[in-house]
Amino acid sequence: MSDRIDSPRRPLLVTALTAAALIAAPFVLPWLGAAPNTVNRILVWGLFGIGFDILFGYTGLLSFGQSALYGTGGFVAAYLLTRAGFPHVVMALLIGMVAAAAVGYLVGLVALRRTGIYFAMITVAIAEVFYFVEFNPLSEWTGGENGLPGVPTPSLNLGFTTLHFTSGWALYPFLAFCYFVGIVVALRIVRSPVGVVLRGIRENPLRTAAVGHNVHGYKLAAFVIAAAYAGLAGGLLGVLQAFMPPEAFTFETSGQLVIQTAIGGRGMLFGPLAGAALWLFLQDFLQGPLGLGATWKLVLGLVFVVLVCFLRDGIIGGMRDAWRLVARRTGKTAAAVAGPAKRPTRPAAAPADGRAHAGNGFTGPIMQTVSLTKHYGGVAANEAIDFSVHAGEVRGIIGPNGAGKTTFFKMLTCEVPPSAGTILFKGRDITGMGVTEVCQLGLTKSYQVNQLFNRLTVRENVTIAALAALRGKFRLDLMRRLADIPGLDERVGDTLELIGLAGRGEAPVAQLAYGEKRRLEIGLALASSPSLLLLDEPLAGMSPTERAETVRLLKSIGQDRTMIVIDHDMDSLFELAERITVLQEGRVLAEGRPADIKADPKVQEAYLGGLNGKPA
Amino acid sequence: MITWPNFVSQLFNGLALGALLALIASGLTIIYGTLGVLNLAHGAMFMLGGYAGFAAYQATGSFIVAVLAGTLALLILGVLMERVIVRHFYARPHEDQLLVTFGLAIVFVEAVRWLFSSDSKTITPPGALAGITPLGFMLYPTYRLAVVGIVAVALLVLFLVLYRTRLGMIVRAGIEDAVMVDCLGINVDRVFMVVFGIGAMAAGFAGIVNAPIVSLTPEVGEAILVQTFVVVVIGGVGSFPGAVLGGLIAGEIISLTSMVNPGYAYVMLFAAMTLVLVMRPRGLLGALGRE
Amino acid sequence: MRDQTSAPRRDGRRQFVRNGLLLAGGLALPGLTRRAAAEDHPPIGTYPAGVQGSSVTIGIGVPRTGTYAEQGEDELKGWQLAVEHINGGHPLMREISPKTKKGVLGKEVKVVVADSAAKPNDAVQAQQRFITENKVILMTGSTSSAVAVAMNKLAQREKVLYVTGISGSNDTTGKDCVRYGFRQNFYGETAANAIGPVLLKAYGKNKKAAFMTPDYTYGHTVTKSTSEYLTQHGGWTMVTNQVSPLGATDYSSYLTNIANSGAEVLLNVNWGRDAVLSTQQAKQFGVIPKMKLVIPYQIPFLAKNIGAELSEGVYAATDFWWTLQDKYPLAKMFVETFEKKYGYKPEWGAENAYMSFAMWAEAVENAGTFYPPDVIKSFEAGRKLNSMVGEVYIRKEDHQLVRPVVIVRGKAPKQMRNKEDFWEVTEVVPGGPLMQKPDAFGCKLGDYT
Repeated sequence: MSDRIDSPRRPLLVTALTAAALIAAPFVLPWLGAAPNTVNRILVWGLFGIGFDILFGYTGLLSFGQSALYGTGGFVAAYLLTRAGFPHVVMALLIGMVAAAAVGYLVGLVALRRTGIYFAMITVAIAEVFYFVEFNPLSEWTGGENGLPGVPTPSLNLGFTTLHFTSGWALYPFLAFCYFVGIVVALRIVRSPVGVVLRGIRENPLRTAAVGHNVHGYKLAAFVIAAAYAGLAGGLLGVLQAFMPPEAFTFETSGQLVIQTAIGGRGMLFGPLAGAALWLFLQDFLQGPLGLGATWKLVLGLVFVVLVCFLRDGIIGGMRDAWRLVARRTGKTAAAVAGPAKRPTRPAAAPADGRAHAGNGFTGPIMQTVSLTKHYGGVAANEAIDFSVHAGEVRGIIGPNGAGKTTFFKMLTCEVPPSAGTILFKGRDITGMGVTEVCQLGLTKSYQVNQLFNRLTVRENVTIAALAALRGKFRLDLMRRLADIPGLDERVGDTLELIGLAGRGEAPVAQLAYGEKRRLEIGLALASSPSLLLLDEPLAGMSPTERAETVRLLKSIGQDRTMIVIDHDMDSLFELAERITVLQEGRVLAEGRPADIKADPKVQEAYLGGLNGKPA
Repeated sequence: MITWPNFVSQLFNGLALGALLALIASGLTIIYGTLGVLNLAHGAMFMLGGYAGFAAYQATGSFIVAVLAGTLALLILGVLMERVIVRHFYARPHEDQLLVTFGLAIVFVEAVRWLFSSDSKTITPPGALAGITPLGFMLYPTYRLAVVGIVAVALLVLFLVLYRTRLGMIVRAGIEDAVMVDCLGINVDRVFMVVFGIGAMAAGFAGIVNAPIVSLTPEVGEAILVQTFVVVVIGGVGSFPGAVLGGLIAGEIISLTSMVNPGYAYVMLFAAMTLVLVMRPRGLLGALGRE
Repeated sequence: MRDQTSAPRRDGRRQFVRNGLLLAGGLALPGLTRRAAAEDHPPIGTYPAGVQGSSVTIGIGVPRTGTYAEQGEDELKGWQLAVEHINGGHPLMREISPKTKKGVLGKEVKVVVADSAAKPNDAVQAQQRFITENKVILMTGSTSSAVAVAMNKLAQREKVLYVTGISGSNDTTGKDCVRYGFRQNFYGETAANAIGPVLLKAYGKNKKAAFMTPDYTYGHTVTKSTSEYLTQHGGWTMVTNQVSPLGATDYSSYLTNIANSGAEVLLNVNWGRDAVLSTQQAKQFGVIPKMKLVIPYQIPFLAKNIGAELSEGVYAATDFWWTLQDKYPLAKMFVETFEKKYGYKPEWGAENAYMSFAMWAEAVENAGTFYPPDVIKSFEAGRKLNSMVGEVYIRKEDHQLVRPVVIVRGKAPKQMRNKEDFWEVTEVVPGGPLMQKPDAFGCKLGDYT
């Protein structure tokens, strides 16, 4: 599933279609037998789901605890409007939304310390705790199991007349407007740089951090956004029912949200709306006309399981795929598949040499380690390594398996903390910094096993890396358009040119050949314009032709920056590197020019156990 | 109220609660540890064991038959579920696994509601075990005491299977490194199927054995599921001893908090889980690097 | 009426003019009233849309699943029987609502039913649908007081009348009362004041009491009213109050606390299935019969589920028990027709349901219109009605029916004359003196429109 992030016509079209559908609904839907209350409920769930979709569909964080924020926003608004006698409905709703966002921030600080399944479990626990707190300690404010009845509906004083949004179709315009605003804001967010980073986090959080983004900060931002939507939706629920129910806090509510989003389709913003429509429709239809009574939920459960198994992207995803299938058959989107605009071909210029990471004017070793050591339990992966590289050098590192090369790289990029020793980058002690900070300082790595954003396009992959270089490790530019980032297009285009993937920008990574993926892997590291680039076995798994091409590429890259390359392909490495360091069993065995290393008997013994049968 | 007799009583009560949780959690933890799938349908399986046993009880009037029926039914269901559905999700992201087991949980609950209605069903414990046993510091229902014993035996059997049989060794190896087991030429598919079956069976057995204590309703698995998570997290994912320890700790948390304020009992449990998740995510006896 | 103090000469002419006017007025009256009935009141709620056709609809939200499902089904049968009687002009119904002939104001009564699962949210959702789609002109259903309270507010907002189903909390006609809501059955305060003296007489003063309370409005208010009465009038002490969530299945922790509390009397306020389970488990833990069990607010079918051995000697306060048929003719009629139709003797949920519909039919017939404010005023007029337990009337300050509370005691198994003969009625306590002052619980009825 690849979302297009750079097609200009789409956002306006989507917005216009949404507005048209919302306006037409009260006239069309009654013909289909839809009750106004049901439609209103669908809108509230849809709004709740927009935030959740940003959290789950776009960032990949499956939370079963959204009910906590839904309830918080709802009860704050309801309390203001009922017991506190606050007069303005809209104001109360906004206050509820802000309260939910604040609570979401605090909850996120706790929950986001873990990922995946543990994250999901913490959210379940939090949901249960909130439900309990609503019931007991805070029952003075929340009405306990009674909830807060008597929530008023909004009215709008236009000067010459007052609009009373009461119930049924009279309330619909208000809810539809809220939903519309919610969608418009969400569309902006997902198209903003933050939205791109969130998608990166979903696909590969490790790499997103490694290219220089503050992953935790963005996750927290997504969590708070989801909480704000949840809080507003909760407030609207109270208005819709004239009553704020404690059920808003239950695990069932969170569960229903998850199911609706999965059914409708995640990562598309409208999924929850479609899912809610299906859920509520089935609930009414199966119980009413078909008279199935309580069995409606069984049918729904079956539908859900089938969809999760077969239609990964839900109903909307299924419709989209079907449409694409049809369109492709009729050849309509042939042009679109090739790429939207024709980029003018540029000469293969070297990309900007990391102006932000001014390596110029720096003398002395750009990278230096002093007695760097790493122990895993009783095993010494690296032992007292002294190492230094000068600016502009191309250094190779070789060594037999188990020599500790990858561990060494991991320490250099601060993915793994050393057991002892120091690392100096451009004279600055970076020991114990994080991988994100180090990338921002100008040191990145390309991985031995591809760490790409697999479901995104080539262009999107490079954009994620480029964004970190241009915007720093964290910026909440939620409303900004990608096109408005100065230098982004240029940087992405240049990087793609350099790695030879300029014509493949719109291809999803899954469709690339292995060699192309490897080049993209390097491209991701390049896009941050590092002053020091580490390459972990860039040639692994390549055919001879691919190898030669890649070496050419590396040579041209190496002209403008410092590189350290690990590989097992001696011939290529000796051709590429100016100096070679040899590691064995965690220590530096030898260091020198390629020719010297080749002839060094110690090295020969380490690899071959001696030459011509003579131990050194 | 905090008095010495009450303390001892609640301590004992917590043991009974904890033993049951330990058994159910063992099932969940070996499934998660080996397959990497968090089975959100585990609570529903607990419930299903109870209902399968109930159906058998209605048909035959024998409690023993009911227990056998509940256990066997879940073994078969577990195996089927793994073969037909879960198997296809190993390569898919964790979230999808959570979603599909979550969906299956709903299907199970609603299917039971359809077949048996929402009324609560009771099973009377066998005559010999109905009644009250004086324990000195309190009077305790005989059947609950019996359950502690039964569950202890079940846990012992599970222990023997895991630590004294070849299959158990493979399962424990698979918990550590399933890929490696595969590389060693062992039919990992079959191992996964068996593990899922055993895990489901543990839940089902617990369900039918517990049924005479509380009445059976379709929702009875929901609360159990969340409590079981807590146990697995506290004890350590993939660790059988962790599940037992975690179960006992959880049982004591519930009953000892009830001594002071019963309303807070379950919340304390969640607070404990959150604490463990934040401070020592691998749990008390879990292996490092399992996040 | 003003006194005539005019001089005799003018008196005669005045008399003549007055009589003439009265006559003219009297002749015109039918015309006026007919026109008033045909004349449109301003639309309000589902009026007049819901009464246009030949039938009117009532919306019922009742638990058919969950902890209170068994009681909910019993209530539903009561409503359905009442509707049948209203439409057919059954003699029992005419005893309570004399003007009923066929239907209400000539219109057939229909019902639509939804499962509330005793959850306020589900009930409100369903009734909102009923209002928009079926244009119901009356709503009912609670069983859980949380639902009753939520429905009160919905009724007041939507301007559609609501009579509660079973609702035991003080709040329903207390701080959460509304102009559009009415309650028939007894509740926490009246139950406590009725059963209190009985308990003091039976068990004496200065006893230690343990309470088991379900954690919601009904539980808290009943426990509060009951313990207040017992402490103030009899010097009892509440040694422990074990609060459990609605729907709990395992009471071992609570019962362990109670067993160690030194209490002599156990007052179980739990309801529905919770009451059944907690009582059974109390027996298993030896708490009963060591302590005496009291059910301050009786539950339909409790005795059947726990068995006569457990209910023997237990005091409970209730709204109705079928053996009242020996004392009240209407009760006899009710029990007979219910048993004929459904095959078992009605519990108080069914009686409450039947009575509340009968009350409504009577109020509407008296008002002569479905227009809600008029119907409300008709309720509030405080006419004395016949009921299964004697004369009752609605108190206009809080819309609570003033009616007696029935105290029962569980029979020993060998004393039971048939398999439903669980309780014997020991007292029927008049309701008036049991009730709090109208404004004591903070009731402020809202507007008529």
